[in-house]
This record gives sequence, structure tokens and C-alpha cells, in this order.
Amino acid sequence: MDELILELKNEIIETLNLEDMQPEDIDTDAPLFGEGLGLDSIDALELIVLMEKNYGIKLRDASKGKEIFKSVRVMADYIEKNRTK
Amino acid sequence: MKRNSFYIKSTAQISIQQPLCDDWMENPVWYDSNYVRSVEPDYKQYILPLEARRMTRIMKRSLTTSNVAIKKSGLTLPDAIITGTGWGCMDNTEQFLDTLCNEGEQLLKPTLFMQSTHNTISSHIAINTHNNGYNITYSHRGTSFDMALFDAYLQYKSGKLDSALVGSHDEVTPTSFSFLKKMGLVGCDDEICGEASASVVLSSRTSDTHSAVAAIRIVYKPSASEIHSAVNQLLADAEMRMDDISAVMVGISGNKNTDKPYHDIVDNCFKDKTILHYKHVFGECFSASALGFYAADCCLKYGYVPDFLYVDKSHGMIGPPKNLLLVNHSDGKIFSFVLLRYY
Repeated sequence: MDELILELKNEIIETLNLEDMQPEDIDTDAPLFGEGLGLDSIDALELIVLMEKNYGIKLRDASKGKEIFKSVRVMADYIEKNRTK
Repeated sequence: MKRNSFYIKSTAQISIQQPLCDDWMENPVWYDSNYVRSVEPDYKQYILPLEARRMTRIMKRSLTTSNVAIKKSGLTLPDAIITGTGWGCMDNTEQFLDTLCNEGEQLLKPTLFMQSTHNTISSHIAINTHNNGYNITYSHRGTSFDMALFDAYLQYKSGKLDSALVGSHDEVTPTSFSFLKKMGLVGCDDEICGEASASVVLSSRTSDTHSAVAAIRIVYKPSASEIHSAVNQLLADAEMRMDDISAVMVGISGNKNTDKPYHDIVDNCFKDKTILHYKHVFGECFSASALGFYAADCCLKYGYVPDFLYVDKSHGMIGPPKNLLLVNHSDGKIFSFVLLRYY
């Protein structure tokens, strides 16, 4: 799980162009949106594309995103349970 | 009230010269290459890192020159944002098309999709500056800036606006340069292909200004006599005579094909005038004429023309310029004449 969390943090940094950020700067349990990392709705779309491209997870119900993108740990947990690649 | 002169309150540029300053007047940077990318400022001084992360170079450049020009002008909210761009966000467009090919038209990145259109630049400036006024983008290849300026000028003359942020922005990626070069459009002969981002704030207010747009004429596929006529009308609009023009600044770049219309115009209309050029300093691209406008404004502001801007000195050097006429063309079809007046 720790390996997946680190991998996910690196992918988030790269995909969302979070320049000057390192994986250790992202709190694993902090909210990704609003407070915490401060991401917005466009970032949510980027994360949906990331999940499909890298892990084969198609998020058809957008309302689920709010729960899945709660934090990096929650996201990693969802990926581990649902990944197809 | 007669509204012929639209006063230039401020300008800002990012180009192949030192950015956001007028250092090129005294210390121009010279290049040996046919292709040079813009010299970037430290954007962290102008844009928050969290906001900048989704912006490509052209978006950072356009936002920075716009914000710097607005700040210098003292006008927090211009009535309009009018933008010219030949190719818009080319870098994003290329990345989007690459993804389209590589991912089999699946899993396209939303940011690239949203920010690959031409009007991304103007709308992005509006969002960032909280400006809900008139906002439009002109994409007319090499006369994109001229069209944007013309719109602002006409609306000012008809009393529809009192101030405007006019800019023109183009980036030239390595891929687009290679295509344009193969087509013989840029980087040929002695020409330097550069990049341009220039913003100007114009206002009806005469305080803290040194120059104004006095008249503009744009003509499509003109004959030699129609060019003569356009120049005469331009002078009449500005209530000037040919003798009042200190010098004519043309877009000669070193590319024999695109330079020919300029040589023809000079031979037909301005044989006895001092001719200036600027593209050997700033390079050629679709928004280059915005840098010509900026360069002419600098000459009026500082009261002299740098030695290296003269095409030749057969007519002698001019003193402090009073009125400068800018001549630009795109593909030898659209010709623009912009008259700047010292104020």
C-alpha cells in the first residue's frame, strides 16, 4: 500500500504540474480538494483521466469522485480494490 | 467631442529581447540563429505558483504583460480586453493532438482541451483581472494585432469605450517552426523567427502619456493606387501632411519573399522618408507587429531612434521623432497603416 501511495503522489505531482512539490509535501490523509492540497474541479477531471489511463478504472458515476478523492490514502485504497491494470 | 487620438498609457513586452523592460533601446541582444524563443522573466514575481501550474508559456507571458501594462497605466479595469493572436495556444494544441494520436482518441487531458483554443488567452486575462467588459480575439495571421488595435480605435472613436487593454501574443514551438520554415514563411534568408507577447493600455485620458494612436487604416489586397489613397486618407484622418511624419517603420525581416511588399510600398509612397525596421531586433512571428508598435512607442517616449533601427541613413538621422507611421502586411494581402503621434 505504501508503495502505491508513493506512486500515486508522484503521478499527481506530474499530472497536475505541482511544481516545487515533493511526494513528502503531500499529506497522505489531508483532503485533496478545498483545504489541504487545494485542488479544483479541473484537477478532478485530470484525476479521473489518470485513474483510467494508469489503473484501468472507469469512473462512470461522477458523484463517487467526492468520496474517492477524499485523500491520497482513500484514493490508493480504491485503486487497489478496483484496478484492472 | 472629437476622439481622434487614443492615448497610450503603458506598454509591456516579453520577446527575444530582455523582458518587461526597454533595455533593448541601449543594449539589444543579437542572435545568430534563425529561431529564438522568448526570454522569460521570473514568473513567480507575477503569478502565484498554484495558478501558474496550469499555464503554458504563452499564457504566462500574456497574463504577465497584461498585468504589468495595467499596473503601469494606473487603470485597474480597462473597458475592454482586445487580443490578437495568429495561432493561439500552439503548445497546448500540439500536446492535445499528440495525445489524440497516442491514446487512440481516448483519455484526453481536459486542461489541454480547454486551453488549446485561440480565445483562451483573452478570456484567461479577463478571469485573472476580474474584467467582465468587452472581450474578443482577432486571429488574422500577421495582422492580428493590427485588427485588435483597429477594433479598439473604432470603438473609442464612436464613444463606445474610453479605455482598452490591447495585446497580441504568439508562441512558436519547435514543431511549428519546422513547418513554417519548410513552407518558406519564417526563418528564411536572413530572418530570425522569434516569439512575441506585447500589451498596451490605451485611454481617453491625456495625463501621464507621451504618445497616441492618431489614425489607422487597413486595406485588403490593395493596388498601388489604393495604397496611396489609404495613406492619404490616414493623413487626412490625423489632420497631418506627409512632412509631419518623422519616419516610417516597416516590417522588413530579411525574408526576401515577405519583404518585397514593403520595398514596393517604400518605393511608391515613401521614397523621401526615413525608413526604420525592428524585426531584426525582435524577430518575426504572427504578433511581431505588436512589438513594432511597442518599439515605435519607445522611440516617442524616449525621444530618439536607436541607430540600429535605421534601414539606411541616406536621408540622415532624425531628431526626436514626432509622428511615426507603422506599416505592416500579412501574406501581401492585408496591409495596415498605424500612425502614432507624440503627445
